[in-house]
Amino acid sequence: MKKRFLLFGALILLIAVSSVISTGVGAVFISPADVLHASFGSGKSQHLFIIQEYRLPRVVLSILVGAGLAVAGTVLQGIIRNPLASPDIIGITKGAGLTAVIVILLFPKSPVGTLPWAALAGGLAAALLLYLLSYRGGMKPITMALSGIAIGALFSAGIQYMTVRYAADANTALLWLAGSLWGRGWNHVLTLLPWVVLLLPLIWLYASKLDTLNLGDDVAQGLGVPVTRTRMILFFLAVGLTAACVSVAGSIGFLGLVAPHIARRLVGPVHSLNLPLSALLGSLLLLLADGIGRILLIPKEVPAGIIIAVIGAPYFLYLLRREYRSG
Amino acid sequence: MKASSFIKPIMLALLGCSLLAAGILLSISFGAADIRMAEVWNAITNPEPTKEQLIVRTLRLPRALGSALIGASLAVAGALMQAVTRNPLASPQIFGINAGASLVVVGSIVLFPFLSPPALVYFAFAGAALGGGLVYSFGSAGGQSPVKLALAGTAVSLLLAALTEGLVVLHDHQTQTVLFWLAGAVDGVSWSDVHTLLPWSLLGLLVAAGISRSMTLLGLGDDVAHGLGQRVQRARLLAGVAVILLAGSSVAVAGPIGFIGLVIPHIVRRMVGSDYRMVIPFAALFGAVLLVYADLASRYISYPFESPVGIVTAALGAPFFLYLIHKGRMASQ
Repeated sequence: MKKRFLLFGALILLIAVSSVISTGVGAVFISPADVLHASFGSGKSQHLFIIQEYRLPRVVLSILVGAGLAVAGTVLQGIIRNPLASPDIIGITKGAGLTAVIVILLFPKSPVGTLPWAALAGGLAAALLLYLLSYRGGMKPITMALSGIAIGALFSAGIQYMTVRYAADANTALLWLAGSLWGRGWNHVLTLLPWVVLLLPLIWLYASKLDTLNLGDDVAQGLGVPVTRTRMILFFLAVGLTAACVSVAGSIGFLGLVAPHIARRLVGPVHSLNLPLSALLGSLLLLLADGIGRILLIPKEVPAGIIIAVIGAPYFLYLLRREYRSG
Repeated sequence: MKASSFIKPIMLALLGCSLLAAGILLSISFGAADIRMAEVWNAITNPEPTKEQLIVRTLRLPRALGSALIGASLAVAGALMQAVTRNPLASPQIFGINAGASLVVVGSIVLFPFLSPPALVYFAFAGAALGGGLVYSFGSAGGQSPVKLALAGTAVSLLLAALTEGLVVLHDHQTQTVLFWLAGAVDGVSWSDVHTLLPWSLLGLLVAAGISRSMTLLGLGDDVAHGLGQRVQRARLLAGVAVILLAGSSVAVAGPIGFIGLVIPHIVRRMVGSDYRMVIPFAALFGAVLLVYADLASRYISYPFESPVGIVTAALGAPFFLYLIHKGRMASQ
């Protein structure tokens, strides 16, 4: 127990430290001391503006999006019972991406608040399609994974059509698609916040049911858990969370895959523990990725999604190798 | 062989050839500017410097022939891959070959903008080998399974696509061209592209035809093939080289066009059986047919604007992929 407190404490500390450092780095460097001063409203005025208007909302968003995607990944891996499931591999991110791109390109003047709903509609469409296609096969993990790949391909064809057809504005959409926190402000934070604040605790309430589902459908049924209904509720909670995150940060892949895995390795399969832990890990990873992306090629920015993919894809391949070797 | 067993392939060949010929004629005639068939015929037999004939000779004809060539190449590449890996999902797209070639081609367009398509082909070969090699090494370690290969392919493709996106975003001055190309497009195929493509495609197709017997035997398993006097490793290596030539040169000219390499071999095997001496030529024929008609359809998605043909093949191919999965053969493996 004490070890776990230490683990959580250390992670929160790491997130705090990375937040301060990440706020300070970028095209304009600001020392950690100045960051702290500015965050509490004092210090040099030119830094005050950069920090409060540009850097802080990004840091807050990294924390929210990272936590959201990591938890969505944990839930999907739990209900599909496939350690390789994640919102991006099974095509949900692409679905959310398509409708969001449609809104960005066709209705560029629409308020930021509509984007999550658009993304949610697309994410739900992809999820529903996936659900319908794999329902008849008893939602077998393999069928779900492969169907997800095909659905992802279909939606990305749609995305390609949109970006090519409206090529003049495609760069905005493209930057957003690559998964980036560039140019995000407090209005994005406010858009995302209710979703995360509402859905994370709701999912956490289902932690013990997720544990039961892990034992297999028959056992879970025997223990009195309505398997199909629980799975469906959790599935759509995860989709909602993913869509909300995608709508503000674009499609950041692999985060929902990597964070849950590290969490499981650290605290085991008990979801009441590994859900919050993977949330923290997701936040930390995205904070670091965003910070690194900002300083890698100054004055240009590398989208955080690309940094995460470069770290995440090899990890996924390593997992794939291990997973199939152990049978 | 009985005489009657020749009839079906001959009928199929006639069907395929007439479909292809009709498709090429339609492709020359229809588009943003419709051109009468008589004019098309005149342009070939009796060249005159009219506007219509100019469109036919410099734009439509290379585009139609290029599409046919690319369709044939991709379908044969897919057939070879499915034979070698004994995996029904294997295809240039699932195997990361398209994504690898795309990354390297986009990288060289961005970094060395002075390079011409004939030089880009070599980069595409390198990229195709890189993507395919990565997926093969991760997807086949510890025993092969279609699911594992598909997952490895998806992960590698996502990674390579992320890197490609990064290049595009960071060098935004050429976004439009690169984006269109990345969706898989044949609308800009010119005579010089056809000349670039032709030697590599022909070489790849010839190699494929040459090893077609070995491909059939590989389907029986390595041990059986070996016992029947096949040099298994050599056949694999040749197939790999052919795939890289075929898919790499196609991507260099037209970008990553998906799903043809997945869909066509399945359809063809259903029509002519699993003898690859039949599968390879028919895959080439019907691959050409599919891409020519897909290209024709792509002109009407948002007429009079051109849309990338890759969108059409994805819209046709993804449901087919779903169908393959749900036929259930794969899920049990």
